Amino acid sequence: MARIIIIDDEKDVREVLKEVLERAGFDVEIAANGDDGLELLRSKGADVVITDIIMPGKNGVETVHDIRKHFPKTRVIVISGGGNVAPMEYEPSAIKTSAYLASATVEGADVTLTKPFDRQEILDAVNQLIAG
Amino acid sequence: MDKHQGNQESMARKLDTLSARMIAVLLLVHAVLLPALFYGMLVVVENSQKDAFIDTTRIYARIFADFLESSDTLNSEAEIIRQLDSSILGGTGIYAALQLNDKLLTSSLMDPQDGTAFNEDFDFGEHGDDVYYLSIPVVRDDSTVVLRMGFDESPTLLQIKDIKWTVVIILLAYLVISLILVLLLGTLLVRPLRRLQRVSRKIASGDYSRKLDDKSNLYEIGELAHDLDSMRSNLVGVNAQLQEEIHEREVAQAKQKSLEARLRHSQRLEAIGTLAGGIAHEFNNVLAPIMLYTDLALEDVPEKNAARQKLERVMSLLQRAKGLSQQILLFGSKTGEAGQVAVDIAPVVEEGLSLVRALVPATVEIRANIKHDLGLVLCDAAQIQQLVINLCSNAFRSLSRIGGHIQVDVDGVELNDDFTDKHPRLLAGNYAELSVSDTGKGMDDATMERIFEPFFTTQEVGKGTGLGLSVVHGIVLEHDADIIVSSKLGKGSTFRVYFPLIDDQSANNEQILGI
Repeated sequence: MARIIIIDDEKDVREVLKEVLERAGFDVEIAANGDDGLELLRSKGADVVITDIIMPGKNGVETVHDIRKHFPKTRVIVISGGGNVAPMEYEPSAIKTSAYLASATVEGADVTLTKPFDRQEILDAVNQLIAG
Repeated sequence: MDKHQGNQESMARKLDTLSARMIAVLLLVHAVLLPALFYGMLVVVENSQKDAFIDTTRIYARIFADFLESSDTLNSEAEIIRQLDSSILGGTGIYAALQLNDKLLTSSLMDPQDGTAFNEDFDFGEHGDDVYYLSIPVVRDDSTVVLRMGFDESPTLLQIKDIKWTVVIILLAYLVISLILVLLLGTLLVRPLRRLQRVSRKIASGDYSRKLDDKSNLYEIGELAHDLDSMRSNLVGVNAQLQEEIHEREVAQAKQKSLEARLRHSQRLEAIGTLAGGIAHEFNNVLAPIMLYTDLALEDVPEKNAARQKLERVMSLLQRAKGLSQQILLFGSKTGEAGQVAVDIAPVVEEGLSLVRALVPATVEIRANIKHDLGLVLCDAAQIQQLVINLCSNAFRSLSRIGGHIQVDVDGVELNDDFTDKHPRLLAGNYAELSVSDTGKGMDDATMERIFEPFFTTQEVGKGTGLGLSVVHGIVLEHDADIIVSSKLGKGSTFRVYFPLIDDQSANNEQILGI
């Protein structure tokens, strides 16, 4: 049974995704941030990681970078709310999530999905990646 | 009282005129000159009259003496007295006597008391100083004879008195004539000056068109007119230069103002875009689990359950919410140019128009003038079609109720620096211009300022999302294009979108650089 790790700081998002994927027959683990997700990946391993991109602490781009570095076989789906996020201290203006998604793709993310997506879209993406 | 003062003032002004000054100078000069002239003439006349009187008496006495020298009269005393009498009667003498040896023979016409003639004709009253006496020797061989004669000077003095009056009258006439001449000269001088003054006043009041003529015969005034005229033409030049500078400044200020307005406008749109993007991000993060939970719930609820239908409604509403969110994100966001390819924009626009024709009622006339082969535009065809549809549906909405038509044109334009200065987003060069015009109700400035803002709409609530033009704005940004709106209330609006044309050169460069 394929294992999927979901990393998202939003409790509702990670829990609903867990249920959606479990109903589809996957073994699902969830984490609230990039570090926890990587810890899970280390301890349990996974075929697919679904990670949010804007998160406190280690963000999606860094998470993708670490996954690619240590687990080159694991496939990665990056999900994002789109739009833009409030500027952080060192950033001069609002950063569009599209920029993060592009960076994540550069780091090696396999698929990017913009929220909201329906059940079929995420299942299609996951199945496609597992099928290889 | 005031009137009196006014009169005094106007009097003072009259005394200040050129003529008055000339008259004053003339009178001053004559006050010194005329008495001197008068005195001088008098002295000359008096002297000459006196000289003439003396000469006349001497000549007269001499002639009489000559006669006595050669005549036999001296032999008889009675004859001598008769001769003396006739000398008085025939001349101006009042005294005639002859000293013949020791004997003094006097005229019988003389008053023995005072020794002057008493004939009525010679009665001059008191003679005193006015009588000129002379003694002349009569040379004879037989005796020593002296002729004594006295002549009255008063007629001569009376004559001089008459001459005095004549001189006074002549001098007065001279004064009057010279006054008249001065007045004439004054007028002659003043007239061209007045003419200059009239023109100068016009110039002072801002009318530079009148030329200052230098027709005056007077050299100085001609020169003055000439100088004033060159001053006038200089003023015209300086004035024109100043006007030009003012105009340039106004143009620069207007340009500055319009740039500032555009900057404010784009900053405002950017701020709204940032806000909208932030809201959309959070909104999507909420929308995502709702959508997935609803999907799961739909699976959980049996097909016959009443809740299922409601959940399906929720699902379709969520799809609408997703669409709205995506449209918001299209506004002001550059999501990447992945979908852009270099194409001829004309067929893309035509395809968009065919969709528009299906969307708007057949009663709305859409005229199109689309030029092909203008060059290539780097664009996302689906977005350009969306742009055409949104612009046309906006035009259609402004036509509703009042009727009219929509004009869609595509043409090539070359934008110069003047144009791009006003629209800093564009660089000078070749562009494909897509314009969508309507003959609808038009917009006021306040509306134009806000049309690209998301959710800004002039439609009634429920009609139109207020996202159409904000999506257009997002697409325009995405294509490095710019959109310019012009509108007139009651006449309609025109939206012009400028897409940069890529030439073969830059297309090649991009390939080389791997962009």
